[in-house]
Amino acid sequence: MNQTNQTEPGTEKSHVELLHESQLRSARRFRTNVSLSWGFLFLFLVFLFSGQDFLGIKTIQLDFDFIQNNVVFIAGGIWETLRISFLSITLAIILALLAALGRLSKFPPFYALSTFYVSLIRGTPLYLQIFFFFLALPQLGIYLTGLFAGVIALGLNYGAYMSEIFRAGLSSVGRGQREAAFAIGMTPWQTMKRVILPQALRFAIPPIGNDFIAMTKDSALVSATGFVHEVMWRATRVGRAQFNNLEALIMAAIFYWMMTIMLTYVQSIIETRLSKGDR
Amino acid sequence: MTPIIKISNLDKYFGLLHVLRDVSLEVQPREVVCIIGRSGSGKSTLLRCINFLEDPSRGIIDVDGINVKIKNGTRREHREAIHDIRLKTGMVFQEFNLFPHMTVLENVIEGPVTVKGINQDEAIALAEETLDSVGLLFKKDEYPNRLSGGQKQRVAIARALAMQPKVMLFDEPTSALDPELIGEVLNVMKKVAKDGMTMLVVTHEMGFAREVADRVLVMADGQIVEDAKPDALFNKPKDPRTKALIDRYRTGAG
Repeated sequence: MNQTNQTEPGTEKSHVELLHESQLRSARRFRTNVSLSWGFLFLFLVFLFSGQDFLGIKTIQLDFDFIQNNVVFIAGGIWETLRISFLSITLAIILALLAALGRLSKFPPFYALSTFYVSLIRGTPLYLQIFFFFLALPQLGIYLTGLFAGVIALGLNYGAYMSEIFRAGLSSVGRGQREAAFAIGMTPWQTMKRVILPQALRFAIPPIGNDFIAMTKDSALVSATGFVHEVMWRATRVGRAQFNNLEALIMAAIFYWMMTIMLTYVQSIIETRLSKGDR
Repeated sequence: MTPIIKISNLDKYFGLLHVLRDVSLEVQPREVVCIIGRSGSGKSTLLRCINFLEDPSRGIIDVDGINVKIKNGTRREHREAIHDIRLKTGMVFQEFNLFPHMTVLENVIEGPVTVKGINQDEAIALAEETLDSVGLLFKKDEYPNRLSGGQKQRVAIARALAMQPKVMLFDEPTSALDPELIGEVLNVMKKVAKDGMTMLVVTHEMGFAREVADRVLVMADGQIVEDAKPDALFNKPKDPRTKALIDRYRTGAG
């Protein structure tokens, strides 16, 4: 074998390498073409709203004065959108974890409470839940600010959906892990905190990221309360007032889109870092 | 001599299945006892009842003076004693059960730091010493998934030893290993035995039982059917079930 290598260095290896390289090349070509197509679609969209006459095609004319005058106002809602989302996801994670523990509990009341909560929340619209906390509770003498009502509704709603993620994460940790922890004398609480939860969280972080991104968009519903000045609220306000809904909503859409792209990027960084850990 | 483990009239049911039938057993300090038997004979269950990974249904378990009397399954009142027994026993599992999110060193200091409350530096010094004794100090910063099965099991032994237990329980420690990796684990176990540890080993490794054990127990149908020194047991088995077991391993090995 060594002799073949001496006469023709690396022939055997290069065969495999060639195959690998050609696969890499076609993958790279595919990615380049996708990027080019993305660019083309984007340019087409820009062209569609450019207001120019092109070969007899009239494209959409936007009111750029309006855009210029209101872009800062609408962008100012990004902070509020992110704030609602962060507060809500925090609440959702806590609720989801508790619901998942309840779902795995062998104590009937806990199990019932968890499944009852998940069923009730998943069985009703998020829009209704937001209004319930904002408009229905005052009838009982409970007044919540728009932000507070929104965060509670979003947190409760996403918590119910996310409980399934945590349940899967907790179940993914094998029975042997618990036994090993018990065998060195850990209490059930220490076992949960030091052994089960860290592994379950690692499993749950990518889907939590997805839900967080979804939530930044669902937070737009909170604008319906009229008291939370996030991106959607600002867009509809100036859009309606000046009858420029087209421009206002396009701007809001761009802001949401940019937020989503950035958060997706952050998520991918976190995921690669996690995968380096113990896999 | 007072026995370090004393099990009296232990019964264990899984539902209607009676897996341990009135088992009694005494183990002296520094003694190495191997438990052999076909699968389903109750040998792992017996071992797991000692540190209460299985709930005994009835009987008395006494480990180094900690005495737990069970009348009808374990209860809240037993919790403290069970915890004390677990501090006195180390366990090594067939499937290693290392904590995958912790490095080798973190695995070994976890018990001393979290359970015993020893300070980090002291625990690390102790863990490094223990890892050195199983020949894996150089792997201390690796994650378990980067280790071979044999190395994982040696780390698992170090993790148990770092708690400085009075008794080590081995539950088929080499059954999940590729044949060529069994030797390194058995060698570490021999070393632990030589250092004077009291050991209870559920195993299929007849060679190890013969060479290292002071006593070999044979289990069948939830009972200890023979209890003898290895030479006597392997050369002149009394119980027909022991004979069948030994013959089966002989032909299997040959």
